[in-house]
Amino acid sequence: MSISLSSATGLLLQGVAGPLQLAESDWEYILRLARMSGLHGRLAAANKDNPTLPAPIRRHLLSAERMCAFNGQMLQGELSSLASLCDGRFPVLLLKGAAYARQNQAFARGRFVSDVDLLVPREHLRSMEQRLRSAGWKPAELDPYDERYYRDWSHETPPMRLPGHFLEVDLHHAITPVTAGLRFDPAPLFDASEALPGTPFRALSLEDQVLHACLHCFQDGDLSLRVREVADIDGLLRSAAGQNEFAERLIGRAARLGLQRPLWYGLRFAHAWMETPHAQEMLARLEAPPALCRAAMERLVPLAMLPPDPDFPPSASVRLARLAMLTRYHLQRMPLRMLLPHLARKAGLRIRSRFAGAPSQNA
Amino acid sequence: MRTPAYRVLDVGAARIAVHSPIARFHADLDTVYPHQGREDPADFADVRVTLLPDAPLLQPWKRQVSLWSEASRPFEPYPRHSALPLFEWGGNWLLAQRLNAYLLLHAGVAARNDRALILPAAPGSGKSTLTCALHLAGWRFLSDEFGVIEPDSGMVLPLLKPAALKNRSIEVIGAHPRAVLGPVFPGTRKGDVAHFVPDRDSHEGRHRPARPRLVVFPRYQAGSPLSCTPVPEAEAAMRLGLNSFNYRALGPVGFQAVIRLARESHAWELVYDDLDSAIETIETLLERAP
Repeated sequence: MSISLSSATGLLLQGVAGPLQLAESDWEYILRLARMSGLHGRLAAANKDNPTLPAPIRRHLLSAERMCAFNGQMLQGELSSLASLCDGRFPVLLLKGAAYARQNQAFARGRFVSDVDLLVPREHLRSMEQRLRSAGWKPAELDPYDERYYRDWSHETPPMRLPGHFLEVDLHHAITPVTAGLRFDPAPLFDASEALPGTPFRALSLEDQVLHACLHCFQDGDLSLRVREVADIDGLLRSAAGQNEFAERLIGRAARLGLQRPLWYGLRFAHAWMETPHAQEMLARLEAPPALCRAAMERLVPLAMLPPDPDFPPSASVRLARLAMLTRYHLQRMPLRMLLPHLARKAGLRIRSRFAGAPSQNA
Repeated sequence: MRTPAYRVLDVGAARIAVHSPIARFHADLDTVYPHQGREDPADFADVRVTLLPDAPLLQPWKRQVSLWSEASRPFEPYPRHSALPLFEWGGNWLLAQRLNAYLLLHAGVAARNDRALILPAAPGSGKSTLTCALHLAGWRFLSDEFGVIEPDSGMVLPLLKPAALKNRSIEVIGAHPRAVLGPVFPGTRKGDVAHFVPDRDSHEGRHRPARPRLVVFPRYQAGSPLSCTPVPEAEAAMRLGLNSFNYRALGPVGFQAVIRLARESHAWELVYDDLDSAIETIETLLERAP
């Protein structure tokens, strides 16, 4: 079974957890895998005081550490701007990276944040969006079709940015798309949420954070190089390791929200790749997916999510696996009667822009 | 595991490894990196790239080249014959992403007796032309694109890549009897481009840092008389920060580095038309610098 790691990727994931001792050329290879997967900041944090680092590697890890410190600074700035928009009339939850950073999670050291994800109750979405706009945040410019896509079919508003700021804000009213098969009423997420001391924000309970990380990891569109999300799941589970009966609560919560399947996959890969403590026991207590789905996922996920050989363009099998995962995502997200017209329209627009000579996105 | 046959260029502050099956590209590399020896391809490289021939899906007859790095393709492909400019720009872009252990100024750097002149400037201000002209007048060439400042020591490190000369600068510099230029690539996205090759002495000195002593903000202005005005320390520090790839990202490290640089050197603004008189003035300014 191809779920096992290449030795280099195994070393990368070890290096994210603690200091490595390697020859310079091996280090270079691991460093490249780390950059590809966005784990270089975590590699730097875990090896900051490693006395065995060769000089050029130390220099590159310092480079990553500085970029990460800057990223953290930008996050703090964004959060303090956002804090002034929260008046306590409705809960505003920080999701993912922003929450991990505010909670001082061990695995947030060196973790890059690409945007700030906020979750508000659906009935307050427009009001929160209005507040952001009044304070100067501007949505990315979208054509009317994309705008409607976000409004009607998505679980978030189009990304917004305060001019001059580095990070985007994504405003969510649910953690699954409204059209998806796995959708559920997000009200219990707010009920179980926890205050983030010193801020007007709240965060999902640890159980819900794990479930959200699993959802995000396996139900998102582009799974390329998403191994860092498995590292998040691992980090969250490790931070819960001291809690009594966390496993029971997590499994119970997954059952209540209907998220056993994403949780199963999250645990499966966290166990396989990062030897996450207790993941194996929890897996034994969850119903495994049907053999065919499982075999397909165990075949495709490593190809799509783990960094491929940095010396070459991604191989045909890697590209195929990514495409398969994208197809799976679209099929889960929308019924075919909505999906096919959507994809046709997108393809039409892309071809038209290519022939009009408009610059296309980087591959 | 198979590894491509990399060719490694040691350019001083960084090592760049490149693999390509395109013969013309290797010939161009030989022309613009004539002093590079045979580095061990297994040794550490800051940047590893592969330049592969390809073609657009819908126009399979079109000959293109793509730059791959770490299994992704950060730029749109170039025409096949322009592999060298793609490698140079792509390599610079990747270096700017990765060398954040240093303060990276967008600047030309030249030195006399290891006393360095830094020429920070926006594109089009004539910094490459001036850097090459100084080199041809006997200065050591350190870089035409990156002022690599080591924050702990305050020294500037050479990053000895060929200087990308554009449009009219190609004739101006190419007219010099000792100038060595690579082939001209007409009509790239930045106009015509040719690469100026630094001499062997500069190559040999690529691991020898220099102490920044003089900062000159050049501004080429056709027909203008030469004028030279001192730039106060604080303003020089600020303008150095503005002409940096990573000043903002480095936070306090970048701040300390530009302050130190401004304090330890003299800074001037130089508006010029005639290259020879600009060089003469710069020689005098360096003599008077600390």
